[in-house]
Amino acid sequence: MNFIRLTKEGKGDVDLKKTYDAVVVGSGAAGGMAAHVLTSHGMKVLLLEAGKKLDTDKELKSTEWPYQHQRRGEMPPGHHALSLNEYTIRQPPYAADTKFKHVHSYVQGWGGADYSKNIVVDERDHPYTGTNYAWVRARLLGGKTNIWGRLALRLSDYDFKAKTHDGYGEDWPISYKDIAPYYDKVDLYLGISGQKENLPHLPDSIFQRPIKLAYAEAGLRQSLKKMNRVLTPYRAGVTTDGLKHNKYRSRCFGRGACNRRVGGCDIHAAFDSPTGLILPAMDTGNLTLRTNSIAHEVMVDNNTGKARGVAFIDAETGKTYEAKARVVVIAASTLESARLMLLSKSKIHPNGISNSSGHVGHNFCEHIMGPHVTGLVKDLAGKPHTLDDGKPGSFYVARFRNLTDRHPNFIRGYGFEGGSGTSMYPGNAGSTPGFGSSYKKTVRDYSGAFISMGAFGEVLARYENYVDLDPAVKDRWGIPVLRFHYKFGDNEKKMAEDMADTAQEMFTEAGFEILGVNRRVLTEGWSIHELGTARMGSDSKTSVVNQFQQSHDVKNLLVVDGSSHVSASCQNPTWTIMALAWRSCDHLADELKRGNL
Amino acid sequence: MAEDYKQADSSGNDEAELTRREMIKLGAGAAIAVTIVGLDAKAAAQSAQEKAPLFFTKDEYALVDELTELIIPADEHSPGARAAQVASYIDFRLSESFDEQPKTLWRDGLKLVEQLSQEMNGKSFLESSPEQRISLLTRISQNEMNPVKPEEIFFKELKSRTARAYYTSKIGIDTEMEYKGNTYLKEFVGYDAI
Repeated sequence: MNFIRLTKEGKGDVDLKKTYDAVVVGSGAAGGMAAHVLTSHGMKVLLLEAGKKLDTDKELKSTEWPYQHQRRGEMPPGHHALSLNEYTIRQPPYAADTKFKHVHSYVQGWGGADYSKNIVVDERDHPYTGTNYAWVRARLLGGKTNIWGRLALRLSDYDFKAKTHDGYGEDWPISYKDIAPYYDKVDLYLGISGQKENLPHLPDSIFQRPIKLAYAEAGLRQSLKKMNRVLTPYRAGVTTDGLKHNKYRSRCFGRGACNRRVGGCDIHAAFDSPTGLILPAMDTGNLTLRTNSIAHEVMVDNNTGKARGVAFIDAETGKTYEAKARVVVIAASTLESARLMLLSKSKIHPNGISNSSGHVGHNFCEHIMGPHVTGLVKDLAGKPHTLDDGKPGSFYVARFRNLTDRHPNFIRGYGFEGGSGTSMYPGNAGSTPGFGSSYKKTVRDYSGAFISMGAFGEVLARYENYVDLDPAVKDRWGIPVLRFHYKFGDNEKKMAEDMADTAQEMFTEAGFEILGVNRRVLTEGWSIHELGTARMGSDSKTSVVNQFQQSHDVKNLLVVDGSSHVSASCQNPTWTIMALAWRSCDHLADELKRGNL
Repeated sequence: MAEDYKQADSSGNDEAELTRREMIKLGAGAAIAVTIVGLDAKAAAQSAQEKAPLFFTKDEYALVDELTELIIPADEHSPGARAAQVASYIDFRLSESFDEQPKTLWRDGLKLVEQLSQEMNGKSFLESSPEQRISLLTRISQNEMNPVKPEEIFFKELKSRTARAYYTSKIGIDTEMEYKGNTYLKEFVGYDAI
C-alpha cells in the first residue's frame, strides 16, 4: 500500500540570490511546523535540512516478516549499535578508535534496526565530547519525527507554573490558557488518538478513536482507580480516524510495526513532519526546500545586529552558501540549535548569537528513565494468543506525585509508559531456562502473559548542566562539535528510587506476580527528550528568547524547538514543541505585517 | 474473566478479518501449513546434504542441526528447529560475522560437545542414543543463567541463536506462536478503557 511518493525535491528551485521572507533551519517537528504556519500566512520560506531526503516508504517496509529479510531485520556486518555498557564505561566520542565501519546510537540495538540504519546517524560522522550522554540523532528530512515514539501529551499549569507551585527554577512566561488553543490546532491538523480523562495535570486533547487496552491493562486501570491513579490508553500522535485535509496520510490500521521496530510509519498514520507538515506546505507554492544543507552560522548585519541569513555547507559537495532572509527561524533540535547559536559569533554577538545572557546551552534538561517493573499475569498463562500488538502504543499512567501533596524526598513528578500481551517475538524466549518440548511449551504458554512499565521523570533545569563548543574536535564537515557538561542530580536520583517503588506497588496491588523490579537509571540522554538550552523568559538577563520564542537580542531571530522549554515537565515534548512553534509563527507573521521587525 | 479474555480475541475484529482467520485456523490454512512444513523440511535436508554450508564443515553442520532440534524439537503442536532451517540461518550469519569471536566460540564449542560425548558415552554425539544426547545437553545447560565453563557458555550462545532463528521463522511465528498481528485491522483489538 503506497499512499504517497516523495517526489518533490525542490533543490532546483532554490534561489540563493533572493531574499526569502524566512529561512527555517531544521525540518523536524518544530521546523516543519514553522514551514507550515509561515507559508499559510503567505510568506515565502526556504527550509534548510542538514540531512538527506529519504524515501522512508522504501526504508521502513513495516509489514515485511522477519523471515522475508535476509538477516531477520538485523543490520549487515560492520554496523554496530552502542550498548548501555559502552555508554557507561567509555567517554564520548563513542565511535573513536572503533573497528566497525558504522557506529549507531543505542536505538539501533533494537529489533528491526536494518530498516532504520539510514535514518539514525552514523556516530563516526557526528562526534561529540564531554560527559556520558546517549545522544540519538536522525539527519534527514523530518528528523526524528520519522521514528518518534508517538506519545503526544499536553503540559499543564503544574508545569508552566511549576516554580509558583514548589519554588524551584523559573515559571514559563506563558500559561496553559495561552497555549491551549494551539494544542487544539495541532490536534485537529495532525490527528491524535486518546481518551478523555479530565485530569488537570494532563489536559485532554481533541481526540480521535482511542487505542484499546489489552486484558491485563484493563485490569490495571481498574486497580489503579482505587489508588486514585489513572491509566489511560496511549495518547498517540497518530490519526486513527484519518484526516480529510491531508492526502499524504492514511488512518491507522493497527499493523503494529511501530513497536517491533525502531519506529516509523510508512502509511503515515503516525505523524511525521514530511507528510504531516512539509508536503502540504509545499502545496501552497510558498515553500522551497533544500536538503543536505548544514547550517553552521547565522549571518548578521554588522550595522543593525539583526540576522540577515544563514550560512550552510552542502553535505555532499562541501561547498558553502548563504541563504538570505528577512527572518531566521532556528529549529534544528535542542542541542543542534544551541550549537548553531554558539557557532554564530560576530563582533556584535561575540559569545554567539542571542547569547548576551550567557544562557545559550545552559539549563539543559530532559527526562530521566530506567526504573521499570515486569509482572506475570497468571490468568493469561496457557491461554490462546490474542492480538495485542496491533496498535501504535499501549498505555500511559499519568503523573501522581507532588500534585496535591508534597513528597519528602523530591519535587516534580513522573509518568509511566507500558505494554503487555503478545508480540511477534516472544520476549521470554531468552529468559526461559532449559530446552526441549517443555522449554518450547513454556515459551508459548507464557509469552503473552507479561506486563511491564517504566517511568519518565522530570530532570530539573539547572544552569550548571550545559553544552558548549569543543575547542578542538570537529565533525566530518569541519564544524566544531558539542561538548557535554551534564549529569543527573540528587532530585532525579531520589525520584528514580520512588519510580521503582511505586511501580512495584501498583503491580502488586493489581495482582500481578512481580518478576523483576529494575532500579537502574539509564545513561543521560536515553529518553531522547533533550530540552532547555535556549529558554524562554521575560528577563533578557536570564533567558534567551521571549514568550514568542523571539530572541531578546535579535528581533528577527526565532528559536522554535525544544530548546526554548523552561522546564522539562515529565510529559513527552513533541506536541508542546509544535503548539509553541505554531503560536510563535502566528505572532511572527503578525509582527511582520505590522512592520515591527 | 477468562471468558472475557477469550472474547477479546475475536470481538474487536471486523467480520471479514475474522472469517479469513477462522478459515486459516480451521482448514485451508492447515493444508497450507502442512505443505510449507513439508517443503521446509525437504529444503533443510537438501541444504544439509547437497548444498555446502557457508561456515560450518558438513560434520559441524549436521551436529548443529541436531543440537538446535534438541533445543526446539518438533512436537504435536508444531515443527521444530530443523524444519525451520535454524542451522542454515546460524551458518549464514556466522559466515558473514564481522567479528572472529563468535566464529571461534562456535568452532570450539562444537569440539567441546564432541569431546564431552566421547567422555560420557565413548562415541560421537550423533552416534549417541537420544537419551545420551539429552543428558549431555542437560549437563552443559546447568548454569544457563550464569555460565562459567566453556561448554556452558557455548550452550547459552547455541540456545540464544537457536531461539532467535526459530521464533523469527515462518514456522515459529505462524505455527508455533500462532501470531495474529502484522495485518490491517479496521478496529483495534482489546478492551475499552472504562
